[in-house]
Amino acid sequence: MLKRLQIYEDRCTGCTSCQLVCSFAKEEYFSPALSRIMVDVQQEQARFRPRVCIQCAEAPCIETCPVGALSRDEATRAIRLDKGVCIGCRRCVEACPYAGVGFDEEQGLPLICDLCGGEPACVDVCRFPQAIRYAEEEGDNA
Amino acid sequence: MNTSYPGRVVRVNLSDNKIERQQLSSELLRAYLGGRGVGVRLLWDDVAPDVDPFDEGNALMFLPGVLTGTSTPCSGRTTVSAKGPATGQYLKTSVGGYLGIALKMAGVDAVVVQGIAEQPTVLVIDEQGGRLEPAGDTWGQGVKETTRRLKQRYGDDVEVACIGPAGEKLVRFAAVMTSVYNAAARGGIGAVMGSKRLKAIVIVPGRGGVRVHDPDRFSAAARQARELLYNDSVAPDLHKYGTARDVDILNELRLLPTRNFQRSALSGDAYNLSGRSWPKMGYLERIVSCGGCIYCCHRFTRVSSGPYAGTASGGPEYETVAAFGSGCGILELEPVLAANALCNDLGLDTISAGNVVQWAMETAEKGILTEDDLGGLKLSFGDAEGMLELLMMIGERRGVGDVLAEGVARAADKIGHDSHRWAVEARGLEQSNVELRGAYSYALAFAVNPRGPDHLHTECLAEFGGTNEGISLVEKLTGDKSLAVPDTEIGRAKIVRWHEDMYAVTDAVGMCAFSTTAAYSLDEHALAELVAAATGQEISGEELMKAGKRILTLERCFSLRHGLEPSCDDRVPRRMMEEIPQDVQKGEPMDRERLSRMLKEYYELHGWDPETGRPLRTELHRLGLDFAAEVAVGPCEKGGSR
Repeated sequence: MLKRLQIYEDRCTGCTSCQLVCSFAKEEYFSPALSRIMVDVQQEQARFRPRVCIQCAEAPCIETCPVGALSRDEATRAIRLDKGVCIGCRRCVEACPYAGVGFDEEQGLPLICDLCGGEPACVDVCRFPQAIRYAEEEGDNA
Repeated sequence: MNTSYPGRVVRVNLSDNKIERQQLSSELLRAYLGGRGVGVRLLWDDVAPDVDPFDEGNALMFLPGVLTGTSTPCSGRTTVSAKGPATGQYLKTSVGGYLGIALKMAGVDAVVVQGIAEQPTVLVIDEQGGRLEPAGDTWGQGVKETTRRLKQRYGDDVEVACIGPAGEKLVRFAAVMTSVYNAAARGGIGAVMGSKRLKAIVIVPGRGGVRVHDPDRFSAAARQARELLYNDSVAPDLHKYGTARDVDILNELRLLPTRNFQRSALSGDAYNLSGRSWPKMGYLERIVSCGGCIYCCHRFTRVSSGPYAGTASGGPEYETVAAFGSGCGILELEPVLAANALCNDLGLDTISAGNVVQWAMETAEKGILTEDDLGGLKLSFGDAEGMLELLMMIGERRGVGDVLAEGVARAADKIGHDSHRWAVEARGLEQSNVELRGAYSYALAFAVNPRGPDHLHTECLAEFGGTNEGISLVEKLTGDKSLAVPDTEIGRAKIVRWHEDMYAVTDAVGMCAFSTTAAYSLDEHALAELVAAATGQEISGEELMKAGKRILTLERCFSLRHGLEPSCDDRVPRRMMEEIPQDVQKGEPMDRERLSRMLKEYYELHGWDPETGRPLRTELHRLGLDFAAEVAVGPCEKGGSR
């Protein structure tokens, strides 16, 4: 069975290390604003919510894209973005029921997780909390 | 050059509303790295010896580290530095949360604030620079409400570092709070901010990000560092149970300071106070992390029923549990959580606040502080309500709280009646909760700590021999692994010397002590590889440690220039030197002679004059600190080996 990125919101400690390694893996520098995984941090109540593409079986982002810039990688099931085709309309951002698609204002492009080709960088920095796992489906997925 | 820490300083003068940019030279960055190192170098130039900590000439600095904002594990720390109100000498504090990452993302490596604002002020920092705005209705508010209002004003995603009422009222142990619950706690750093009428610094998230010189090399070094940290023997428990995980074990070992250090254990089981029990007892709501950490040792706790229902706050850490639990003779966790939440919101250092309350309890039990003096409080050890009321009085400088807000040394001056004998302080700072009468490295380290007696300048956990990593380190430093025992003088100076250099480097690069000196995953070579890959400046482990020594030595010079007298200031609190815990049958206090022998060896290892404890000019020259020669002794030799 194929692996999938799984998020356990209640285990997230808000370290945001995933945002740092993600932006570095994708852009070669550290900038949470460019991370494909986004962590909502509510400091006062210590509530943290990681948001990222979880490779839904039916991908509303692909269906809604008016120019066909999004497709699915057959090997990993990750969503692929064709930057040359994308017009930056943000419909994928709005269509994602999981709020798992971000947007890079400067380049006018969506930020969608590509699973780093099958070895997602964010998973390794979350080894203790285990809020992000890359594994086969589990029954209790939050 | 210095890609990950290019040396961009925002300089603010609140007296004349000026904000300027300053660029640090690459020579300065090479010598002092960043964070704490850059801080002491700037303090030396910026703060003249005759400046009082509350004068406009004092400089308050916020300094993330060289690696802060990168994926180096546990690298989210920020040094907050100034001339300190508790000691009148050098002060550095270190804080986690998200402050450092926010500053680096806004393109700022250091913030230096001087002057005094006419009206309460907020400093807003963004990628364009900074601006000063009125603090408005946040002045007078607690930390939670201040943070809420500033987020309403500037946006949910801004980072706020602020003071509470305690800082505004110049309590000499007020903290600077960031990310609501993270404290730059010790030495009265929050009072310096209050004296400047600076309520808060607000950092608007930037998009520029943090770059490293060699991404591939850095990536490999960071991955290796992460692997080492994950495999550290203390890591799993630190994550699961936090820094207060072993309170019950310390109690059994009679190493838990109790009742103002009169005893070494609570009579009874301390399991409730131990972090291990909190998940089961329902107090632990969430495991929380500082930005950029992989250990996540911080907590968020809540009390949902009973008299303390509604209490919810970040922490508590071990030190807070010892300060308000065993220290105050309190066995239950709930009042400790309430005291922790109160201090977080008033913006008080829990270590000093707890120590002050303990001193007041003992002074009241001895009949010197009367019910009248205490505004009607019948204070005694074990009195949770009295403890909480006293904390309020201190935070607001109400009644006797006004005297206690000056810290135990000054309070004992005022109250008299020999109450200095149980004021557990040195240099004007209240001691942290370590039983050092049987831990000689700690005693030595506390005696020479420039900010006063605590464990956050030099954490010598290795001497206990409690982990394989610690035993190996003692063997490496002394040549004898059987010296990994705490109650011997032999080898202590060597153990302290290594730890203090390593701690200075750790602070300078912006990492947490749990990666290098309180747990020992990363050595100087691992750090050097990270620094070289991140900055583009090749540096060896040896050079890095030399930079650590340079930072320490300049801190010593700063304090000497500002009135440090080694013969009376290099000491531990009187109670440590004169008494043993009442519940311990054997053992000796850390008497003056023993400490003097260790100090002499320590001074010699440093290249300081063994009699006076002042650096020799030759050593300053070796470290490139000739400019500080005015406080040194000995001949002025040029051309010493570099």
